[in-house]
Amino acid sequence: MLHKIIGRYGLGLFSWLVVLYLFFPLAVLIAASFTASDFLAFPPSSFSLRWYARLAANSQFIDAAWVSVKLAGLATAISLFLGVPTALVLSRNRFPGRAVLSALFISPLLLPAIVIGVAILQYAHLLGFARTFLALLVGHVVIMIPYVIRTTMASLGGLPMNIEEAAQDLGANRLETFFLITLPQIKPGVIAGGLFAFIMSWINVEVSIFNSTAALVPIPVKLFNYIQYNIDPLVAALSAITVYVAFGVVFAIDALIGIDKATNGQG
Amino acid sequence: MRIGFWGAILLLAAPLAFMLAFFAAPFVAIAFNSLQDPDGGLSMSNYVRLVTDPYYLKAMGTTLSIAGWVTLITLLLGYPLAYFMVFRVRKRWLKRILYILVVTPLFTSNVVRAFSWIILLGRNGFVNDLLIWLHLTDKPLPLLFNKVSIIIGLAYIMLPFMILSVAAILQNLDHRLKDAARDLGAGPWSTFFHVTLPLSLPGIVSGALMVFTLCVSAYVTPSILSGGREVVMSMLVFQQYATVLNFSFGATLAVALLITAFLLLAVYHSARFAFAKARQMRGNHAA
Repeated sequence: MLHKIIGRYGLGLFSWLVVLYLFFPLAVLIAASFTASDFLAFPPSSFSLRWYARLAANSQFIDAAWVSVKLAGLATAISLFLGVPTALVLSRNRFPGRAVLSALFISPLLLPAIVIGVAILQYAHLLGFARTFLALLVGHVVIMIPYVIRTTMASLGGLPMNIEEAAQDLGANRLETFFLITLPQIKPGVIAGGLFAFIMSWINVEVSIFNSTAALVPIPVKLFNYIQYNIDPLVAALSAITVYVAFGVVFAIDALIGIDKATNGQG
Repeated sequence: MRIGFWGAILLLAAPLAFMLAFFAAPFVAIAFNSLQDPDGGLSMSNYVRLVTDPYYLKAMGTTLSIAGWVTLITLLLGYPLAYFMVFRVRKRWLKRILYILVVTPLFTSNVVRAFSWIILLGRNGFVNDLLIWLHLTDKPLPLLFNKVSIIIGLAYIMLPFMILSVAAILQNLDHRLKDAARDLGAGPWSTFFHVTLPLSLPGIVSGALMVFTLCVSAYVTPSILSGGREVVMSMLVFQQYATVLNFSFGATLAVALLITAFLLLAVYHSARFAFAKARQMRGNHAA
């Protein structure tokens, strides 16, 4: 009897507990951010928005957030500009060396991020642009390109080619065909890839940390440095905001192409 | 629309130049630097130091053992959930919500996710309160700022990767094989162990290798949750660049991490090759 019950409901119960394990730490941050007390506690004893107000008045965190927004925005634009054409060639053409090329573009995803950060620092050091916005920017573009290429290739893969052929038969040239026929159809995939890339830059520490200075520091690195010495509800408020952003982006990607598609084969 | 030869060259020129200049070249730079001794000559002295100094060997041991534990834990927690999501959840909206809950943590910074465990694992934290309430212990356990907290935090961070890789394979599994096993009289457990589990092996292997590789090079989580008491490889890399300022030796440590990642990737690709071959042979057999 017990055996049957475990067989029937055990898996479901276990699975929901695992889901709880995945979500609970995020919920804890959100709950802790609304505390009125001066120290961090979960469950919080009282409700207030004072730590959010403190955060809004903290110029260091605001500056860091601004660095992150500029960095992620610019790096997203560049990685779309470089990644979409690459995806187009890789998915449409078969040529010798294609496998090597695609490995080159995808490999930043598979190699240790900290090593990419170190390599960029050392290289930038040789060329004289270490610890500058440019060094941060190129490092971020390198780690973002694979995300753009992958989602764009996934959307191109599901596209019937005969519509493009029809457009060309009707007299459109290649550029017109791309901008009027292909791009509108793969737009959700491209936007999702851009969002994916943006968030990977927005949360990155490993690549940024080597090229940051006291004056030029993206928000995750700032937070990382801050919590080495301070553990207070201010951190929880900032963390909670990043959780809200994460949910927003996940819902946006889900609406665009479906979250299961965007992450399929992610593992 | 096929792209002509010159068109392809035109489209690839800028991306390729970018990757060569800012991805390939920096790696060449650190590989070269790792071979420089303090006098500027070329030698293997940095590598000799790495494999003979007990301090570094111990750090490597800690790193690998943490990665091993995390891989095991994520597999034990992630596989059942992936199975549940793919085979048991029938409603589309529920499946979608589960996917969103699994993926959202991936969109949050490791700093934030590790920080949350500082709140949860402290002496008077939620986890200790829970354990005492359940009478599993009568005084708070030392859970924070040691190997235990690193493993718990990393397992939390890596779990979505394992779930997604196993789910991706289970999703494409031929349902008829399961049904056939059931029709031939196999019980649910027997069907699972003789049919589903072996067929999902590629997902397990790719998930495990991915989690292991990411753990070996993880920096943020171990440094937040170690409290300075445990040292892993990536922390040594950072130390060399940020405080010791020995770039050559830092480069050597980074290259060692890179080589580890390459070895794991090689294992991954040969495993994939073996699975593809096995599938092909089964296909021939069936024909």
